[in-house]
Amino acid sequence: MSAPVVETHRLAKTYGLAPVLREVELRLLAGAGAFIVGGNGAGKSTLLRILAGLEAPSDGRALVFGQDTRRLGARYRRRIGVMAHQSFLYPNLTARENLEFYAELYSVADPRASAIQWLDRVGLAGVADTRVRAFSRGMEQRLSAARAMLAEPGLLLLDEPFASLDHDGAEIIEALIRGAVERGASVIATAHAVPEIAGVEFAAYEISRGRIAQQAHQEEVRRGGRLRTLLGR
Amino acid sequence: MNHSAIRNGLGYTTLALMIIALFMVFDYVPPEAEQGIAQLIFYFHVPLAWVAFASFGLVAIAGIFYLWLGDQLWDDLGYAAAETGMVFCTLMIVAGSIWAKPIWGTWWTWDSRLTTTFILWLMYGGYLMLRASADDTPQVARFAAVVGLVAALDVPIVIASVRLWRTIHPAVLVTRQGGHGLEDPRMVATLLVCLAAFTAFWAWLLMLRFTQLRARSRMGALAVRIAFARAAAADLK
Amino acid sequence: MAGDSARCSADRTLSGFAAVLRKDLRLELRSGESTLALLALSMLVLVVLVFALDAAHVRSVEVAAGALWVAMVFAGMLGANRALLAERDNGAIRGLLLSPLDPGTLYAAKLAAALIFMLIAEVGAVILMVIFFNLDFDASTARLAPILVLGAIGFSALATLLSAITGRTRSGDMLLPILAVPIFVPALIAGVKASAAALGGAPLASMGDWLRIMIAFDVLFVVAGYLLFEQVVGEN
Repeated sequence: MSAPVVETHRLAKTYGLAPVLREVELRLLAGAGAFIVGGNGAGKSTLLRILAGLEAPSDGRALVFGQDTRRLGARYRRRIGVMAHQSFLYPNLTARENLEFYAELYSVADPRASAIQWLDRVGLAGVADTRVRAFSRGMEQRLSAARAMLAEPGLLLLDEPFASLDHDGAEIIEALIRGAVERGASVIATAHAVPEIAGVEFAAYEISRGRIAQQAHQEEVRRGGRLRTLLGR
Repeated sequence: MNHSAIRNGLGYTTLALMIIALFMVFDYVPPEAEQGIAQLIFYFHVPLAWVAFASFGLVAIAGIFYLWLGDQLWDDLGYAAAETGMVFCTLMIVAGSIWAKPIWGTWWTWDSRLTTTFILWLMYGGYLMLRASADDTPQVARFAAVVGLVAALDVPIVIASVRLWRTIHPAVLVTRQGGHGLEDPRMVATLLVCLAAFTAFWAWLLMLRFTQLRARSRMGALAVRIAFARAAAADLK
Repeated sequence: MAGDSARCSADRTLSGFAAVLRKDLRLELRSGESTLALLALSMLVLVVLVFALDAAHVRSVEVAAGALWVAMVFAGMLGANRALLAERDNGAIRGLLLSPLDPGTLYAAKLAAALIFMLIAEVGAVILMVIFFNLDFDASTARLAPILVLGAIGFSALATLLSAITGRTRSGDMLLPILAVPIFVPALIAGVKASAAALGGAPLASMGDWLRIMIAFDVLFVVAGYLLFEQVVGEN
């Protein structure tokens, strides 16, 4: 049995006196995907931030690629791609410049070519040399997805990747996620409700008031066959 | 460790040492030939300076331990040391002014010890202001630890530069801890007793403040556990 | 990812440093007038000092050196505040923290950007100082260069580290000078004394003590900043 890509043990997080995450137990194997579904304030974003290594848990542990997330070395950070509510993009740089910058940070072989390629994939080739400050929310979201995925990370942590997107935009993101999964990447994505992604089998978990409840809505994600149970309890 | 026993012990020790010290300064030690009665402030100056600097050193050391170990205890110790040190540093500055007036006729003099202590006072002030304005952020302990550490590392450079600065306009004052100017063994003895008395005083105040902060931190941790229990109880409904 | 293993980590550090610095310089140039405005503000400080110290009627290298350093510190404070400002938009700082970029390297890049800004301001300030304070452009002015560079390195190193802290607190803009100035005092004393001596015609060899103090300050704060930056820039 291969080692899990993501693992948490009794993960808990408080902000001040408010417990945001309580006793979260999660396991994700390589090449698997999961949607974590919940309402506002349920703790989805916090969980993702902890897994990305941006915040430390108040209690318990989170392991990514076998490493404690509080001490993720550069080697492992390179293998993680994150999409958050904030786009991490510089408004005064063009789309191309933003992607080239991140490609350089992630040691991508040919940053220029990579930037062009990914701008194409998210349908922003036409505005490559426009400053991001002029972008609509949907365009920024797409560019943020390109930024997260251009280094072809082994683990994708996507916080509400479909938010603010119209139908075309959502299709683009869907295609990107599909491509990543086909490549063998693991994906954890959060959402308010389980979306339909044709062609991928993701497990779905409901998070409510800081706890991961039962596997939810299995029927909704079952696609043409048995559901791969890739997540531990 | 029985905190209140230590606190009380320090309190009584301070009281005893202070009484002895006051007696020695005002009755026992002979006044210095040149400056007369006003020179006696030296026996308060030096211990106050020692305590002010030592306290800042403690702020820095507590900061290092906090950054290394992450235990809130070190942050509480650093904060207590900063507040206590600030008190003694302020006393030192005020004492310096009181001394300067009769000797120099001015309310302040830029001799190297006073100048360095004044810079230290500004650093304390900055540290405490940082604490005050960052109090609501979760990283305040980390910020304070870094600032305290960085300022403390700077202190030797401050001392060196101020000393160099003053030698260009030499100050007449030569009082240096344990250095020339203390020919009479009674002076040495008095100085040592004063040092002990003020150190005990400082330790006592530090202990008072530290136990207060510890109690507050522990209550905070307890409140978090209660919040968790409440949430768990709500689950069952 | 194929070329990844071939690049050694020093190479990666350098390219990360270069990428961040280039990005910051590009952003700085695009921000347009605000950079110029800040530089102008620093120069105005000199004007204030001319009148405040009545420099018109007296030729004093001590006064000139003092005014120069006041303007420099002012510029340094403005420059440091901006170093991390660019990362506030869209949470870009998180993008940097998530990347493989080493926090120490990020510090070095921010330090370099703040330093460049301060050096440009210094050049302007020196020119104006010579003109306003009745001095000459000669060898003594040139001898200022190493002193001012040492001062700029020290102040930028200190302020870049501190601004990562103060930028995230209430009244952070006021807090930066409150923290930075007392800590900077030794380098300030040394810098002003050395500058005045240089302007008075003394050779650099004669100010060895002051220069040593400034070098010690610089080394201390560049190293401290490099090591401690990651403690203050993250969220955990």
